[in-house]
Amino acid sequence: MSTATSMTTSASSRTYVEARDVATAVAAMSAGARPIAGGTDLVVGARHGKAPLPAALVGIHRIPGLADVAPTDGGGLRLGALVTHATLMADPTVLASYPGLADASAIVGSHATRANGTLGGNVMNSSPAMDTGAPLLCHGGVAVLVGPAGERRVALADLWTGPGRSTAAPDELLVAVELDAPPADGASGSSYVRLQYRRQMEIAIVGAGAVVTLGADGTVTGAKVAITALAPVIHRVAEAEAALVGTDGGFEAAKAAGAAAAAAARPISDVRGSADYRRAMAAVITRRAVLTAVRRARGESVPVPASDTTFGS
Amino acid sequence: MSVIDTPAQGSSTPERPRAFLRPDGKEKVTGLGRYTADLTFTGQLHAAFRYADHPHARIVSIDTSRAKALPGVFAVVTHEDVPDVRYGGMTQDRRLFAKEKVLWEGDVVAGVAARTVEIAREAAALVEVEYEVLSAQPDYVANMAPDAPVLHEGWAEYGADENLVRDGNVMSRYVIAKGDADAAMAGADVVVKSHYVSDASQGVPIEPRALVAQWTGDSVTVWSSTQVPFAARSGVAHTLQIPESKVRIVVPLLGGGFGSKCDFHFEAHVAILAKVTRRPVRLVFTRKEEFVAPDHRREGMDIELETGVTRDGRIVARRGRMVLDKGAYTGEGGFFAQMAAMHACGPYKLDTVRVEAFLNYSTNQPAASIRAPTAPQACWALEQHLDEVAAAIGMDPVELRRRTLVAEGDEGPAGQVFEKIGAKETLEAALELIGYDAYLRGELPDDEAVGVACGWWPCFGVPSGAYVKLNGDGTATIVTGAQENGSGSVMGLPILAAEILGMSPSDFSINYQDTDAGPWDMGSSGSQTTFNNGRAVVEAAQEVRAKLLAMGAEKLEADVADLELADGAVRVKGAPETSVTIADLAGTGEPILGKGSGEVPEAAASDASACVGSLGMESFLAPQLITHAARVKVDRDTGVVRVLDFAAAHDSGVIVNKVGADGQVYGGVMMGIGQALTEATWTDEEGRQKNPGLLDYKLQTASDGPRIQIRWIEIETPNAGPKGSKGVGEPPSVPTSGAVGNAIAKVIGRHVDKLPMTAERVWLAANSPAGEDQ
Amino acid sequence: MAVDITLSVNGVPYPLTVDPHASLLHTVRGDVGLTGSKEGCDDSECGACMMLVDGRPVNSCSYLAVQADGSDVTTVEGLSDGETLAPLQEAFLTRGGVQCGFCTPGMLVSATALLDRSPNPSEDEIRTAVSGNLCRCTGYDGIVKAIAAVAAERAAQG
Repeated sequence: MSTATSMTTSASSRTYVEARDVATAVAAMSAGARPIAGGTDLVVGARHGKAPLPAALVGIHRIPGLADVAPTDGGGLRLGALVTHATLMADPTVLASYPGLADASAIVGSHATRANGTLGGNVMNSSPAMDTGAPLLCHGGVAVLVGPAGERRVALADLWTGPGRSTAAPDELLVAVELDAPPADGASGSSYVRLQYRRQMEIAIVGAGAVVTLGADGTVTGAKVAITALAPVIHRVAEAEAALVGTDGGFEAAKAAGAAAAAAARPISDVRGSADYRRAMAAVITRRAVLTAVRRARGESVPVPASDTTFGS
Repeated sequence: MSVIDTPAQGSSTPERPRAFLRPDGKEKVTGLGRYTADLTFTGQLHAAFRYADHPHARIVSIDTSRAKALPGVFAVVTHEDVPDVRYGGMTQDRRLFAKEKVLWEGDVVAGVAARTVEIAREAAALVEVEYEVLSAQPDYVANMAPDAPVLHEGWAEYGADENLVRDGNVMSRYVIAKGDADAAMAGADVVVKSHYVSDASQGVPIEPRALVAQWTGDSVTVWSSTQVPFAARSGVAHTLQIPESKVRIVVPLLGGGFGSKCDFHFEAHVAILAKVTRRPVRLVFTRKEEFVAPDHRREGMDIELETGVTRDGRIVARRGRMVLDKGAYTGEGGFFAQMAAMHACGPYKLDTVRVEAFLNYSTNQPAASIRAPTAPQACWALEQHLDEVAAAIGMDPVELRRRTLVAEGDEGPAGQVFEKIGAKETLEAALELIGYDAYLRGELPDDEAVGVACGWWPCFGVPSGAYVKLNGDGTATIVTGAQENGSGSVMGLPILAAEILGMSPSDFSINYQDTDAGPWDMGSSGSQTTFNNGRAVVEAAQEVRAKLLAMGAEKLEADVADLELADGAVRVKGAPETSVTIADLAGTGEPILGKGSGEVPEAAASDASACVGSLGMESFLAPQLITHAARVKVDRDTGVVRVLDFAAAHDSGVIVNKVGADGQVYGGVMMGIGQALTEATWTDEEGRQKNPGLLDYKLQTASDGPRIQIRWIEIETPNAGPKGSKGVGEPPSVPTSGAVGNAIAKVIGRHVDKLPMTAERVWLAANSPAGEDQ
Repeated sequence: MAVDITLSVNGVPYPLTVDPHASLLHTVRGDVGLTGSKEGCDDSECGACMMLVDGRPVNSCSYLAVQADGSDVTTVEGLSDGETLAPLQEAFLTRGGVQCGFCTPGMLVSATALLDRSPNPSEDEIRTAVSGNLCRCTGYDGIVKAIAAVAAERAAQG
């Protein structure tokens, strides 16, 4: 610790407006303002010294309609950008058809973070450690962005490019994330599991999400696996998915998927764990996520959050 | 001896009635109480420090002109602005502002006072310091090599306690020797050697420290979140070269300390800024500063232990070599070598001993008292080592402890003969509470196990003082020099006085934490408030009692011997209707007050000649005995450990304030579990902290808390505190990590040799081939 | 540019002019003058600054004052009139939930938020709800017992 460097902009240059509709927010963003909703990423990030708070801010937390959870025409689910983690972890549709998203939302920060942190802020923060990222990817998440030129839709896999970086333009506001429809026959399950040193207040050191679909005979017919905090972006692991399809979704298959996840991981060494440990944990945590998704696909009840439930399994 | 249990959460056992509510409780639950950072003063300025830019460097020049030129800056001070004196507890090795060298990343080079915090920090960054950068020397073990560059080149000239054995980077060395350990070791049936290493950890009070200084004439008042106001007063007086009568330290409510707010810290820095600006100056630390800047953290330690035993579990020899990281400066931690060596012996019968401990300088953050300094790490190593010894002779580790724990009449490592103590009783109590028999019968799942560890901690007998004065309406005020850290030890003082005066504890107010009001006290350190200040309050109350009885005798025309004090009155024994109220006696205007200190209890005699570098702690005064038992579950594939159930059995003598005592155990055990599993200060290769924040320095949360059961083995301890009490505050963290470590080892088949036993370390130990170093 | 806002704190409206970057915590402690809420970390890890904003628990150190414009803010000072203690305040005192007291305001606010949304919580729920409030003194035991006792009392009263 040497110098106490000022991380702040000068007070006179700071501005704040509150938007009550999307158009006003986008106009402010076009003029250089950054949107702020719950503040749990932007303000906390500034406090951590990641980046100073932007001089120009536009409050979007009171824009009507952005906090809705609603079905899409295609049978999927549309999650407004202002939907909070507290809502996601308790929403009946999310719990029934997208439980991995509930697993993730239930373990974000404290109850205050969950009550205020929004899905939109989370997604646009593009953190490789965001807990909701892996389940959103596995459920086919698509970002709905509104900019001066209108609305466009981008798959989350194409949105995130690195820590804090995305393909969204600075004047595009995320208004919703849409998820795929669950398989018609219903034999599908999802999960998110995170390595956690403490039972609460953790940040993902290693995480994995999975969606598994079973055929009538119990064979895995579809699988999606994504890993968290193991690369500059959260990403799916095709080899892990391939290792599952056609299997019985049992321990050996899940283990193979875990090995594939570990092979695909590009972990770093830091104060939270060595790269070797993280790689080994990628295998364990992915295995547990897959097994949890399979159990749920089979109709077994695995309580949310799965990180707790699968401890020691 | 009596036993009191504190049932765990969900238990249906009725609890002891709790008649006593802490006097500071209401202001704390309503948010109206003031902590130091809640104070504001008209015209106040804000302080910021410029810290060292390198962990080790020679200062070539300091230029403050750009910083001073920044609008809103009122003062920038360096070593040139204060008297050229060094300070420190047992070695005077530090200056307020670095002069020749900086010796760690938190060394203060300059201080700024400015209109806002932001301006002060900006100005601090504008101070231009030219350095000759030197190699950092964070490796405290390597620093004792003969060719290691000496960090304090002028150490021989420093003022120091004459009993310290100093040499180069060795700040102090201590040897405890009993009999011929080498010969005994050679004759032992079995010899076991272990090597354990503990990382540094932190006290982490939830309140970051805060200070405000204001001068009136040539006197200064400093409001400070310190645990030791009188030491802070001495520090200000010494470093600014003014009389103690010109320095007043006031401590508003203190938001925890755990040792990290012991010692004189930053009071003089803020005082000098207030003096040169002629304004009140305020300093509130950020959480990062609270981690990095104080000269207080729990010391890193390298521990080699060797024990020779007979096959039937008699310890014939103990050898040990311990190296402790003192960091850059001594502060008040000069006694650590001796304390660590005592904990390498533990409360056990040892035929022979030779333990050597070194307290070494490094360019790390200084280590000093954190809740039971040196004990949790040394105890963790010793208790795991004992389990290894037990395994080597094929004995259950509990049985080995049964055979070797000390009891009344046994001898300590330097020949102290113990009076009544409850070491063995704590062991049996903890085993019963945790259900050790069920564990032995194999009734737990194979990823769970129970670990047991014992430990000890001394009481510190020092002078202390208090006044008790009666108010005209029959209430009373205790004026004490003692410091309340939150534990309730000061809040419990009225219990002692009320009993003597026949009053209710709620009749008392307490004037505390103000050096101009109360007599000298050591402060909130060494678990000594009830032990020493309780005695002072008792004596002061006795003086008041004598006066009341004399006045009552005159008024009631009775003999003093026939009178008693009860229900707020002096009355004739057996004829309570013949009485005069205390209010009537106190309402005349004649002062009724008492003062006290009481005779300081002394530790039992011992053979200090067997020790090198002895500071008088080779005999433990009124030792507190502890056994902790932990049931843990280990996730073998990840190394993550959860503590599911915990039993804490303590001999702290007679318990004066049970709510307060229980609170110390609950809190201490959780702090101990944190130190066992998740808490460490991680550093880079030059010793800079990498996790100075609460996301990556991981305190245990409420969700991590196990069921905790407490049992007090109450022994009216001779030669101890009031009513036969001992200390309570520090022991609850002492054997905790040892118990957790022994439980982990039973699940994974080997001991984790580094503390904290993080998930990664447990995983490595569980997955590395037997015999291979981790 | 400073922004004009109105904060309703514990039922009292405060028209204020604030820096857009000012945290709700600094604004309430400095401009409103209620210092019960504490700053322990400034990055949402310790919970000492916990307030209710329109009933939601919020780490006020990491929440901008401008965002709370027009909102109802409750701090520890608003949990009772200061004379007759709220049941949670009373229970914290009688069950060993208070030692140094620095985490206490945030703890009480978190506990209030919990019982508002979940009147009959399990011990696990209680622990989860206050896990964002770090306490170094009590080991959480007295705090958990206090919250459970208040919930039980309320349930008994129907």
